[in-house]
Amino acid sequence: MLADARVIQLPLAQTVSLGLGLLISLAFLVFHRHPDDEQSSQRHHHHRDGEPDWSVPAIDDHADLHSFFHDWDPRLKIASLFLYCFLVVSIHSVLWSFVSLVVSVLAIMASHLPWSGSIRRLMAMSGFLAMFMIVMPFTVPFRPGETLLVVEGLSRFPFHVSGFLLALKVVFKAMAIALMMEPLFATSPLAVTLNTLAGLGIPKAICQMVLLSHRYIFVFLHEMKRMYRGMMVRGFRPRTSFATMRTVGNFMGMLFVRSFDRTQRVYDAMLSRGFNGTFPSYVHFRASGVDWGKAALWIIIGLSMLGLDRMF
Amino acid sequence: MHFISEDYHNDPKGLPLFELSGVSFSYPDGKEALQDISLRIYHGDRIALVGQNGSGKTTLAKHLNGLYQPRKGKLLYKGLPMQDEQLNVVRLEVGVMFQDPDDHLFCNTLYDDVAFGPMNQGLPEELVEQRVKKALTDAGFAELMYKPAHFLSYGQKKRAAFAAIMAMQPAVLILDEPSANLDPKQEKIFREMLAAYEGTIICINHDLLFLYGLCERAVVMSNGHIHHDFSFNDLVSHPASLREHGLDFSFRFSCCQSDTPHRHGKKSAKDSGGSEGKLQNVSPALLELRDYHFVYPDGTIGLRGVDMALRQGDTLALIGENGAGKSTLASVLLGIEQGQGEYLFEGAALNKKRRQELWRRVGMVFQDSADQLFCPSCWEEVAFGPQQLGCSKAEVAERVSDALQQVKLADYDQRVPLNISGGERKRLAIAAALSMRPEVLILDEPTAGLDPRGEALLLEIIKGLPMTIILISHDLFFVQSLCRRAIVMNQGQVIRDYSTAEFLHDGHLESVNQLDFTYKNSCGTEIMALQEACLA
Repeated sequence: MLADARVIQLPLAQTVSLGLGLLISLAFLVFHRHPDDEQSSQRHHHHRDGEPDWSVPAIDDHADLHSFFHDWDPRLKIASLFLYCFLVVSIHSVLWSFVSLVVSVLAIMASHLPWSGSIRRLMAMSGFLAMFMIVMPFTVPFRPGETLLVVEGLSRFPFHVSGFLLALKVVFKAMAIALMMEPLFATSPLAVTLNTLAGLGIPKAICQMVLLSHRYIFVFLHEMKRMYRGMMVRGFRPRTSFATMRTVGNFMGMLFVRSFDRTQRVYDAMLSRGFNGTFPSYVHFRASGVDWGKAALWIIIGLSMLGLDRMF
Repeated sequence: MHFISEDYHNDPKGLPLFELSGVSFSYPDGKEALQDISLRIYHGDRIALVGQNGSGKTTLAKHLNGLYQPRKGKLLYKGLPMQDEQLNVVRLEVGVMFQDPDDHLFCNTLYDDVAFGPMNQGLPEELVEQRVKKALTDAGFAELMYKPAHFLSYGQKKRAAFAAIMAMQPAVLILDEPSANLDPKQEKIFREMLAAYEGTIICINHDLLFLYGLCERAVVMSNGHIHHDFSFNDLVSHPASLREHGLDFSFRFSCCQSDTPHRHGKKSAKDSGGSEGKLQNVSPALLELRDYHFVYPDGTIGLRGVDMALRQGDTLALIGENGAGKSTLASVLLGIEQGQGEYLFEGAALNKKRRQELWRRVGMVFQDSADQLFCPSCWEEVAFGPQQLGCSKAEVAERVSDALQQVKLADYDQRVPLNISGGERKRLAIAAALSMRPEVLILDEPTAGLDPRGEALLLEIIKGLPMTIILISHDLFFVQSLCRRAIVMNQGQVIRDYSTAEFLHDGHLESVNQLDFTYKNSCGTEIMALQEACLA
């Protein structure tokens, strides 16, 4: 294999040093907090005895701002940005994948949304994407003529540059699309977004389920915290043991039963206020020339990137 | 046992709003919830629907709203059976508020929640907006209109749920335990809102003192039957009826029979400003906080410069309105939350390791006992704590047996916690804490949601507990009966730390923390006067 490839030998010591340096830098970037960010950090990372806060932020916390995206007709916004995302997925090269990521970053800046939401979104994906970056360079099939980086003494594990570039492309596109979800969903009230999706063909029942789920995520999380606290005050500390598994099983079972009971009560409350199967809504949509112009702009951006990707 | 079921209205006021004739209902598991109910409810009636847990009150309320259909008998609204189109009419004209306000707030913003009902009524958009804004403004939420409900406190959610129903301008209002878990201030606000309502009210509540003056008629249920249907004053004037149905609250006023000056709504001529004197407990401090501060992650201040000491054998009441910092203080004492300042246990500062072990010495019973119950049987629930302590099987069994005996649930080993009554769940939660044999036990609103019989039993149990007690409660009677010492909190600070007797005579408290403790006392006094008049 090595005979058919362009092999670049790397000294072991320098490679290990470089690798460690990159890891430490990455860790610093991810975990370091500036003093200005401390308050934001406390708000979003509630550490109680080292326990992180897994609470879910409301998706439309900042829907009342004004920006390029906030003031855009939701129907045209969702349709054109979804189409844009499909175009981004179709990009083949690393360069234009990176450009799509830059476009997403600019979109977040234009929407005036805080970065905390976007970063949390990326952090949620980071493990999965890191796996790509680590595994793919060592596992892609060998192609004659490709470039391999070989660390002295570790020739059995050549680093495929093509695999690295492939992983990079996947990561860039994934991040670009994940970041676009913020301007897509966080710039309109959730009820409006769901009405829009229903108008675009998503079944109304699914939209109603999403609306109720979003509201009750917070209720169930609150219940979970109270129940977990109830377990903690009686000395429960999770360990790797059958006793812990049994306790957690009971906990999840009780949560399910309580959720089921609540579902029935909520439904009764809805019926009591005249619910007839459909959430009533007075959402009105009005698309102006500016809205159509914005839609055209995004589609042109997407098509241009795809076209340039194919040409170069 | 007597089965008087008198038709309250000897002169019917025209067509009844609701007419039930021989209505029976049973649940899918076969449990007979209503048996041969006959009842007429007229426009303008203000009915207290009372009875013990499991008597059928909520089931009856759900029939009146059309959520349930009777298995037998006839149920009419405005002369027509509650079916098809008439069922829709009922759902839009009869407002029901269930006990948990989170069940009513299912939309993404308060505006949407309150608009839900009027929109289902088919009202034009402008009128819906008008009603929503009025309802939310009246409830004090004008600035929170576009916020979701999970930002609100429990009392605020209850008002928001009420606003959501009132926006429909219902002709009938059915309320299930509206005052449960509210502090006196919020209870007063709620009572005023109900008093201002001009339609028909049907109110399910164990707290007769809340209902006094609000309801004119009492329908008493027992085992799915209607036992009494007479005026509310007739109900409260007969202690025998109250006792029979587990509604006797007169144990709260046994103090009236003594000569000791006490707070009872009207200043007693014998009031000497405190007869029990200063606290005499001189044992060393078990727990001590010095200049303790706590701030929540979102910046909300939980505790400000709290100084307090708890001694062995103390019985301490933590009093204050919702949001005063009582539960936060309890969390700090348990070691769950950590702030800034000194926390000493037995004279030694707590380090991280000792704080993590605090659960072995300090126990807590939460306000909502369901939050502490997650095991499939009562035995396992009570055994959980001792098992975490590392006790042997024999010791676990002994502790479980002792704890269940103490709370009078000795035969409940194999019962499922979810299937027992609210009062029994509360006692089970206490047993689960007692089995760990803590040195300090914190009880957070132990009487919340209990009927008077349950309260009397709970009082008896707590009085017999040997450990140091911290009681978080709005219930003055329990505070007076159980605690020698009171700490009053307001906005995260301790504003008073003195004996309970001094607390009961403190004339400045209402102006400081706006908690009116006297209203129910005055109601109780009037009711006792009614009872005495009947005996005379």
